[in-house]
Amino acid sequence: MKKLLILMLILMSANAKSYNKVKITPDISYIYVYHKGKAVKIHRIQDTKNKLTGEYALQYRPSKYIQPIKMHKDIQTIGEVELLTFMKEKANSREGILIDIRSKKEYKRESIPSAINIPAEVIDNKVKLSKIFKILGLTKKKDGSYDTKKALDIAVYCNGLWCDKSSVFIKKLIELGYPAEKILYYRGGFQMWKILGFTTVTNK
Amino acid sequence: MKLNYGVALIVSTLLANAEVVEITKGVPSITVEQDGKKYKIERSQVKNSYLTNTFALTSRPSPPFFIEPFSVSKNVETYGELEVLDFISNKKGIFIDARLENWYKKSAIPASINVPFKVFLTQSDERKKVLKSFGAKEKSSSEFDFSDAKTLLFYCNGAWCGQSPTAINALIDLGYPEEKMKYYRGGMQAWQLLGLTTIVPKEKK
Repeated sequence: MKKLLILMLILMSANAKSYNKVKITPDISYIYVYHKGKAVKIHRIQDTKNKLTGEYALQYRPSKYIQPIKMHKDIQTIGEVELLTFMKEKANSREGILIDIRSKKEYKRESIPSAINIPAEVIDNKVKLSKIFKILGLTKKKDGSYDTKKALDIAVYCNGLWCDKSSVFIKKLIELGYPAEKILYYRGGFQMWKILGFTTVTNK
Repeated sequence: MKLNYGVALIVSTLLANAEVVEITKGVPSITVEQDGKKYKIERSQVKNSYLTNTFALTSRPSPPFFIEPFSVSKNVETYGELEVLDFISNKKGIFIDARLENWYKKSAIPASINVPFKVFLTQSDERKKVLKSFGAKEKSSSEFDFSDAKTLLFYCNGAWCGQSPTAINALIDLGYPEEKMKYYRGGMQAWQLLGLTTIVPKEKK
Protein backbone atom coordinates (compact mmCIF):
# COMPACT_ATOMS: atom_id res chain seq x y z
CA MET A 1 0.00 0.00 0.00
CA LYS A 2 2.76 2.36 0.93
CA LYS A 3 4.66 1.47 -2.23
CA LEU A 4 1.61 2.12 -4.32
CA LEU A 5 1.15 5.50 -2.72
CA ILE A 6 4.73 6.48 -3.47
CA LEU A 7 4.36 5.29 -7.03
CA MET A 8 1.20 7.35 -7.39
CA LEU A 9 2.94 10.41 -6.03
CA ILE A 10 5.79 9.98 -8.51
CA LEU A 11 3.34 9.64 -11.37
CA MET A 12 1.41 12.67 -10.23
CA SER A 13 4.47 14.85 -10.00
CA ALA A 14 5.54 13.71 -13.46
CA ASN A 15 2.13 14.65 -14.79
CA ALA A 16 2.14 18.05 -13.15
CA LYS A 17 5.24 18.91 -15.23
CA SER A 18 6.81 21.39 -12.91
CA TYR A 19 9.67 22.27 -15.30
CA ASN A 20 11.92 22.61 -12.26
CA LYS A 21 14.91 20.78 -13.66
CA VAL A 22 15.80 23.61 -16.01
CA LYS A 23 14.20 26.77 -14.72
CA ILE A 24 13.99 30.26 -16.16
CA THR A 25 14.92 32.19 -13.01
CA PRO A 26 15.18 30.95 -9.39
CA ASP A 27 11.53 31.97 -8.93
CA ILE A 28 10.08 31.14 -12.32
CA SER A 29 9.80 27.74 -14.02
CA TYR A 30 7.18 28.70 -16.57
CA ILE A 31 4.70 31.42 -17.44
CA TYR A 32 1.44 31.43 -19.36
CA VAL A 33 0.91 33.71 -22.32
CA TYR A 34 -1.84 33.99 -24.91
CA HIS A 35 -1.07 33.06 -28.45
CA LYS A 36 -3.90 33.63 -30.93
CA GLY A 37 -6.44 33.33 -28.15
CA LYS A 38 -5.03 30.16 -26.63
CA ALA A 39 -3.05 29.85 -23.42
CA VAL A 40 0.52 28.65 -24.03
CA LYS A 41 2.94 27.62 -21.31
CA ILE A 42 6.43 29.01 -21.85
CA HIS A 43 9.15 26.99 -20.18
CA ARG A 44 12.57 25.65 -21.10
CA ILE A 45 13.43 22.28 -22.63
CA GLN A 46 14.02 19.95 -19.68
CA ASP A 47 16.42 17.55 -21.40
CA THR A 48 19.87 18.69 -20.27
CA LYS A 49 21.49 16.83 -23.16
CA ASN A 50 19.49 18.68 -25.80
CA LYS A 51 21.51 20.67 -28.32
CA LEU A 52 20.34 23.33 -30.70
CA THR A 53 20.60 22.07 -34.28
CA GLY A 54 19.37 23.30 -37.63
CA GLU A 55 19.31 26.78 -39.10
CA TYR A 56 19.51 28.61 -35.76
CA ALA A 57 22.78 26.86 -34.88
CA LEU A 58 24.32 28.20 -38.08
CA GLN A 59 27.37 30.39 -37.56
CA TYR A 60 28.22 31.14 -41.18
CA ARG A 61 26.21 34.21 -42.14
CA PRO A 62 27.80 36.33 -44.86
CA SER A 63 26.62 39.95 -45.06
CA LYS A 64 24.77 39.64 -41.75
CA TYR A 65 26.59 42.05 -39.49
CA ILE A 66 26.74 41.98 -35.71
CA GLN A 67 24.36 44.55 -34.27
CA PRO A 68 25.34 47.01 -31.52
CA ILE A 69 23.93 46.41 -28.05
CA LYS A 70 22.06 49.71 -28.26
CA MET A 71 20.27 50.52 -31.49
CA HIS A 72 19.15 54.04 -30.47
CA LYS A 73 19.95 56.14 -27.43
CA ASP A 74 16.32 56.22 -26.25
CA ILE A 75 15.45 52.58 -26.91
CA GLN A 76 15.87 50.05 -24.13
CA THR A 77 17.47 46.71 -25.04
CA ILE A 78 16.12 43.71 -23.12
CA GLY A 79 16.93 40.06 -22.54
CA GLU A 80 14.70 37.04 -22.01
CA VAL A 81 13.76 37.76 -18.37
CA GLU A 82 12.56 41.26 -19.28
CA LEU A 83 10.73 39.92 -22.32
CA LEU A 84 8.81 37.47 -20.14
CA THR A 85 7.92 40.30 -17.77
CA PHE A 86 6.66 42.27 -20.77
CA MET A 87 4.49 39.33 -21.83
CA LYS A 88 3.04 38.91 -18.36
CA GLU A 89 2.48 42.55 -17.55
CA LYS A 90 1.72 44.03 -20.96
CA ALA A 91 0.94 41.48 -23.67
CA ASN A 92 -1.33 39.29 -21.51
CA SER A 93 -3.50 42.30 -20.66
CA ARG A 94 -3.40 43.60 -24.24
CA GLU A 95 -1.61 46.73 -23.18
CA GLY A 96 1.35 45.63 -25.22
CA ILE A 97 2.24 43.63 -28.30
CA LEU A 98 5.24 41.44 -29.04
CA ILE A 99 6.23 41.96 -32.67
CA ASP A 100 8.07 39.38 -34.77
CA ILE A 101 9.59 41.38 -37.61
CA ARG A 102 10.90 38.36 -39.57
CA SER A 103 9.42 37.13 -42.83
CA LYS A 104 5.98 35.55 -42.99
CA LYS A 105 7.60 32.22 -43.92
CA GLU A 106 9.91 32.23 -40.91
CA TYR A 107 7.09 33.23 -38.56
CA LYS A 108 4.79 30.50 -39.88
CA ARG A 109 7.41 27.87 -39.30
CA GLU A 110 8.17 28.85 -35.71
CA SER A 111 7.90 31.89 -33.45
CA ILE A 112 8.00 33.07 -29.85
CA PRO A 113 4.57 32.49 -28.24
CA SER A 114 2.32 35.59 -28.08
CA ALA A 115 4.12 37.29 -30.98
CA ILE A 116 2.30 38.72 -33.95
CA ASN A 117 4.05 38.92 -37.29
CA ILE A 118 4.76 42.24 -38.97
CA PRO A 119 7.18 41.42 -41.78
CA ALA A 120 9.82 44.15 -42.17
CA GLU A 121 8.77 44.75 -45.78
CA VAL A 122 5.56 46.49 -44.68
CA ILE A 123 7.56 49.58 -43.75
CA ASP A 124 7.58 50.46 -47.44
CA ASN A 125 3.88 49.75 -47.92
CA LYS A 126 1.86 52.81 -46.86
CA VAL A 127 -1.51 51.07 -46.83
CA LYS A 128 -0.31 48.14 -44.72
CA LEU A 129 1.68 50.40 -42.45
CA SER A 130 -1.34 52.53 -41.62
CA LYS A 131 -3.31 49.36 -40.78
CA ILE A 132 -0.55 48.26 -38.44
CA PHE A 133 -0.42 51.65 -36.81
CA LYS A 134 -4.11 51.31 -36.06
CA ILE A 135 -3.43 48.00 -34.30
CA LEU A 136 -0.64 49.68 -32.35
CA GLY A 137 -3.04 52.36 -31.14
CA LEU A 138 -2.04 55.26 -33.34
CA THR A 139 -4.65 57.44 -34.97
CA LYS A 140 -4.08 59.50 -38.06
CA LYS A 141 -4.69 63.19 -37.64
CA LYS A 142 -6.13 65.48 -40.31
CA ASP A 143 -2.72 66.82 -41.25
CA GLY A 144 -1.47 63.29 -41.95
CA SER A 145 0.65 62.97 -38.82
CA TYR A 146 -0.10 60.48 -36.05
CA ASP A 147 -1.63 60.91 -32.62
CA THR A 148 0.58 58.73 -30.42
CA LYS A 149 -1.09 59.31 -27.05
CA LYS A 150 -2.65 55.86 -27.01
CA ALA A 151 0.27 54.01 -28.55
CA LEU A 152 0.68 50.52 -27.11
CA ASP A 153 3.87 49.25 -25.54
CA ILE A 154 5.74 47.05 -27.96
CA ALA A 155 8.68 44.68 -27.89
CA VAL A 156 10.38 43.86 -31.19
CA TYR A 157 12.57 40.93 -32.22
CA CYS A 158 13.97 39.37 -35.36
CA ASN A 159 16.43 36.56 -36.07
CA GLY A 160 19.18 37.40 -33.64
CA LEU A 161 22.35 39.31 -32.89
CA TRP A 162 23.18 39.62 -36.61
CA CYS A 163 19.73 40.71 -37.75
CA ASP A 164 19.09 44.42 -38.40
CA LYS A 165 15.37 44.25 -39.19
CA SER A 166 14.25 45.19 -35.66
CA SER A 167 16.40 48.27 -35.56
CA VAL A 168 15.33 49.41 -39.06
CA PHE A 169 11.67 49.04 -38.04
CA ILE A 170 12.10 50.72 -34.66
CA LYS A 171 13.98 53.64 -36.20
CA LYS A 172 11.15 54.10 -38.69
CA LEU A 173 8.61 54.12 -35.84
CA ILE A 174 10.60 56.76 -33.96
CA GLU A 175 10.81 58.83 -37.13
CA LEU A 176 7.03 58.72 -37.39
CA GLY A 177 6.67 59.90 -33.82
CA TYR A 178 6.15 56.63 -31.93
CA PRO A 179 7.14 57.28 -28.28
CA ALA A 180 10.57 55.73 -27.75
CA GLU A 181 9.79 54.86 -24.13
CA LYS A 182 7.08 52.49 -25.37
CA ILE A 183 9.47 50.42 -27.46
CA LEU A 184 11.66 47.55 -26.27
CA TYR A 185 14.32 45.82 -28.39
CA TYR A 186 14.96 42.12 -27.79
CA ARG A 187 18.36 41.92 -29.47
CA GLY A 188 18.97 38.23 -28.79
CA GLY A 189 15.99 37.50 -30.99
CA PHE A 190 14.76 34.15 -32.13
CA GLN A 191 18.23 32.59 -32.15
CA MET A 192 18.96 33.29 -28.47
CA TRP A 193 15.40 32.26 -27.56
CA LYS A 194 16.07 28.93 -29.28
CA ILE A 195 19.52 28.32 -27.83
CA LEU A 196 18.17 28.85 -24.32
CA GLY A 197 15.60 26.13 -24.96
CA PHE A 198 12.48 28.28 -24.63
CA THR A 199 9.07 27.13 -25.89
CA THR A 200 8.17 28.04 -29.46
CA VAL A 201 4.94 27.74 -31.45
CA THR A 202 4.14 27.09 -35.09
CA ASN A 203 1.75 29.35 -36.98
CA LYS A 204 0.31 27.27 -39.77
CA MET B 1 48.70 39.62 -13.79
CA LYS B 2 50.45 42.34 -15.81
CA LEU B 3 48.55 43.16 -18.94
CA ASN B 4 50.26 43.85 -22.15
CA TYR B 5 47.98 44.30 -25.11
CA GLY B 6 50.15 45.95 -27.70
CA VAL B 7 48.87 47.96 -30.55
CA ALA B 8 45.53 46.76 -31.77
CA LEU B 9 44.90 46.96 -35.43
CA ILE B 10 41.62 47.33 -37.14
CA VAL B 11 41.86 45.76 -40.53
CA SER B 12 39.38 47.28 -42.86
CA THR B 13 40.36 46.06 -46.24
CA LEU B 14 37.71 46.22 -48.85
CA LEU B 15 37.18 42.70 -50.01
CA ALA B 16 35.94 41.83 -53.43
CA ASN B 17 34.71 38.47 -52.17
CA ALA B 18 31.19 39.06 -50.89
CA GLU B 19 31.14 35.68 -49.16
CA VAL B 20 33.51 36.81 -46.41
CA VAL B 21 31.64 36.89 -43.11
CA GLU B 22 32.46 40.28 -41.66
CA ILE B 23 32.09 41.58 -38.11
CA THR B 24 30.54 44.80 -39.33
CA LYS B 25 30.43 46.14 -42.86
CA GLY B 26 33.99 46.57 -44.13
CA VAL B 27 35.55 45.05 -40.99
CA PRO B 28 36.45 41.39 -41.62
CA SER B 29 38.69 41.05 -38.58
CA ILE B 30 40.23 42.82 -35.61
CA THR B 31 43.68 42.15 -34.23
CA VAL B 32 44.33 42.30 -30.50
CA GLU B 33 47.55 41.75 -28.62
CA GLN B 34 48.21 40.13 -25.28
CA ASP B 35 51.57 39.36 -23.70
CA GLY B 36 53.28 40.25 -26.96
CA LYS B 37 51.23 37.82 -29.00
CA LYS B 38 48.81 38.93 -31.67
CA TYR B 39 45.39 37.38 -32.08
CA LYS B 40 43.19 37.88 -35.08
CA ILE B 41 39.52 37.88 -34.17
CA GLU B 42 37.12 37.14 -37.00
CA ARG B 43 33.95 35.20 -37.68
CA SER B 44 33.91 31.65 -38.97
CA GLN B 45 34.60 31.62 -42.71
CA VAL B 46 33.84 27.92 -42.98
CA LYS B 47 30.87 27.55 -45.26
CA ASN B 48 27.82 26.23 -43.46
CA SER B 49 29.56 25.91 -40.11
CA TYR B 50 27.29 25.15 -37.19
CA LEU B 51 27.77 25.44 -33.45
CA THR B 52 28.05 21.84 -32.29
CA ASN B 53 30.19 21.87 -29.12
CA THR B 54 28.80 21.98 -25.57
CA PHE B 55 27.74 25.61 -26.09
CA ALA B 56 24.97 24.34 -28.37
CA LEU B 57 23.33 22.84 -25.24
CA THR B 58 20.03 24.59 -24.60
CA SER B 59 19.31 23.46 -21.07
CA ARG B 60 21.64 23.55 -18.10
CA PRO B 61 20.36 22.19 -14.80
CA SER B 62 19.08 24.68 -12.24
CA PRO B 63 20.39 25.33 -9.75
CA PRO B 64 23.01 26.59 -10.39
CA PHE B 65 22.07 27.75 -13.88
CA PHE B 66 19.32 30.33 -14.49
CA ILE B 67 18.73 32.97 -17.14
CA GLU B 68 20.46 36.13 -16.00
CA PRO B 69 18.71 39.51 -16.22
CA PHE B 70 19.88 41.80 -19.04
CA SER B 71 21.54 44.12 -16.55
CA VAL B 72 23.54 43.28 -13.40
CA SER B 73 23.05 46.68 -11.79
CA LYS B 74 21.71 50.05 -12.87
CA ASN B 75 25.06 51.66 -13.62
CA VAL B 76 26.92 48.60 -14.87
CA GLU B 77 26.65 48.81 -18.64
CA THR B 78 25.82 45.66 -20.57
CA TYR B 79 27.97 45.11 -23.65
CA GLY B 80 27.46 43.24 -26.90
CA GLU B 81 30.17 41.85 -29.16
CA LEU B 82 30.97 45.13 -30.96
CA GLU B 83 31.43 46.91 -27.64
CA VAL B 84 33.69 44.08 -26.40
CA LEU B 85 35.82 44.30 -29.56
CA ASP B 86 36.10 48.07 -29.18
CA PHE B 87 37.07 47.67 -25.52
CA ILE B 88 39.84 45.15 -26.14
CA SER B 89 41.23 46.59 -29.36
CA ASN B 90 41.38 50.10 -27.92
CA LYS B 91 42.71 48.89 -24.55
CA LYS B 92 40.00 50.57 -22.52
CA GLY B 93 40.61 48.46 -19.43
CA ILE B 94 40.97 44.90 -18.17
CA PHE B 95 39.04 42.12 -19.89
CA ILE B 96 38.17 39.47 -17.31
CA ASP B 97 36.99 35.91 -17.80
CA ALA B 98 35.26 35.32 -14.45
CA ARG B 99 34.79 31.57 -14.93
CA LEU B 100 36.45 28.88 -12.89
CA GLU B 101 39.88 27.97 -14.22
CA ASN B 102 38.86 24.65 -15.79
CA TRP B 103 36.44 26.48 -18.13
CA TYR B 104 38.99 29.13 -19.08
CA LYS B 105 41.72 26.59 -19.82
CA LYS B 106 39.54 24.84 -22.38
CA SER B 107 38.68 27.90 -24.44
CA ALA B 108 38.39 31.64 -23.96
CA ILE B 109 38.02 34.94 -25.78
CA PRO B 110 41.41 36.35 -26.90
CA ALA B 111 42.91 39.11 -24.73
CA SER B 112 41.03 37.99 -21.61
CA ILE B 113 42.67 37.14 -18.32
CA ASN B 114 41.18 34.62 -15.93
CA VAL B 115 40.09 35.85 -12.51
CA PRO B 116 37.63 33.23 -11.25
CA PHE B 117 34.62 34.85 -9.54
CA LYS B 118 35.37 33.02 -6.29
CA VAL B 119 38.44 35.21 -5.80
CA PHE B 120 36.14 38.19 -5.16
CA LEU B 121 33.88 36.50 -2.63
CA THR B 122 36.10 36.24 0.43
CA GLN B 123 38.83 38.32 1.94
CA SER B 124 42.25 36.93 1.07
CA ASP B 125 45.75 37.94 0.05
CA GLU B 126 44.92 36.85 -3.45
CA ARG B 127 41.92 39.19 -3.61
CA LYS B 128 44.03 42.04 -2.28
CA LYS B 129 46.64 41.38 -4.94
CA VAL B 130 44.00 41.28 -7.67
CA LEU B 131 42.36 44.51 -6.51
CA LYS B 132 45.74 46.24 -6.47
CA SER B 133 46.38 45.04 -10.01
CA PHE B 134 43.10 46.76 -10.94
CA GLY B 135 44.49 50.04 -9.57
CA ALA B 136 42.76 50.02 -6.18
CA LYS B 137 44.68 51.49 -3.24
CA GLU B 138 44.49 49.92 0.18
CA LYS B 139 43.12 52.33 2.79
CA SER B 140 42.90 49.88 5.65
CA SER B 141 42.80 46.12 5.97
CA SER B 142 39.26 45.99 4.65
CA GLU B 143 38.86 49.24 2.74
CA PHE B 144 40.03 50.30 -0.69
CA ASP B 145 40.22 53.56 -2.58
CA PHE B 146 38.95 52.93 -6.10
CA SER B 147 39.34 56.45 -7.48
CA ASP B 148 42.19 55.41 -9.81
CA ALA B 149 40.83 51.94 -10.48
CA LYS B 150 40.70 50.68 -14.04
CA THR B 151 37.59 49.84 -16.03
CA LEU B 152 36.78 46.13 -15.96
CA LEU B 153 34.86 44.14 -18.56
CA PHE B 154 33.51 40.77 -17.41
CA TYR B 155 32.17 37.75 -19.24
CA CYS B 156 31.44 34.11 -18.53
CA ASN B 157 29.60 31.32 -20.33
CA GLY B 158 26.53 33.21 -21.47
CA ALA B 159 23.03 34.31 -20.62
CA TRP B 160 22.61 31.28 -18.32
CA CYS B 161 25.87 31.85 -16.43
CA GLY B 162 25.96 33.60 -13.07
CA GLN B 163 29.72 33.68 -12.62
CA SER B 164 30.42 37.16 -14.02
CA PRO B 165 27.31 38.76 -12.41
CA THR B 166 28.46 37.23 -9.10
CA ALA B 167 31.92 38.75 -9.53
CA ILE B 168 30.45 42.16 -10.41
CA ASN B 169 28.07 42.10 -7.43
CA ALA B 170 30.90 41.17 -5.07
CA LEU B 171 32.94 44.10 -6.36
CA ILE B 172 29.98 46.47 -5.97
CA ASP B 173 29.82 45.37 -2.32
CA LEU B 174 33.51 46.20 -1.96
CA GLY B 175 32.88 49.69 -3.32
CA TYR B 176 34.16 49.28 -6.86
CA PRO B 177 32.39 52.01 -8.87
CA GLU B 178 29.61 50.58 -11.05
CA GLU B 179 30.55 52.95 -13.86
CA LYS B 180 33.93 51.22 -14.04
CA MET B 181 32.44 47.79 -14.66
CA LYS B 182 30.93 46.38 -17.86
CA TYR B 183 29.13 43.10 -18.43
CA TYR B 184 29.25 41.06 -21.64
CA ARG B 185 26.14 38.97 -21.05
CA GLY B 186 26.22 37.00 -24.32
CA GLY B 187 29.48 35.44 -23.15
CA MET B 188 31.09 32.35 -24.65
CA GLN B 189 27.79 31.07 -26.02
CA ALA B 190 26.79 34.13 -28.08
CA TRP B 191 30.43 34.71 -29.08
CA GLN B 192 30.69 31.22 -30.59
CA LEU B 193 27.19 31.27 -32.06
CA LEU B 194 28.40 34.24 -34.10
CA GLY B 195 31.42 32.17 -35.12
CA LEU B 196 33.87 34.55 -33.41
CA THR B 197 37.43 33.39 -32.68
CA THR B 198 38.26 31.66 -29.40
CA ILE B 199 41.66 30.48 -28.17
CA VAL B 200 43.08 27.92 -25.80
CA PRO B 201 44.98 30.23 -23.41
CA LYS B 202 48.63 29.48 -22.85
CA GLU B 203 49.64 28.32 -19.39
CA LYS B 204 51.22 31.09 -17.33
CA LYS B 205 54.68 30.20 -16.05
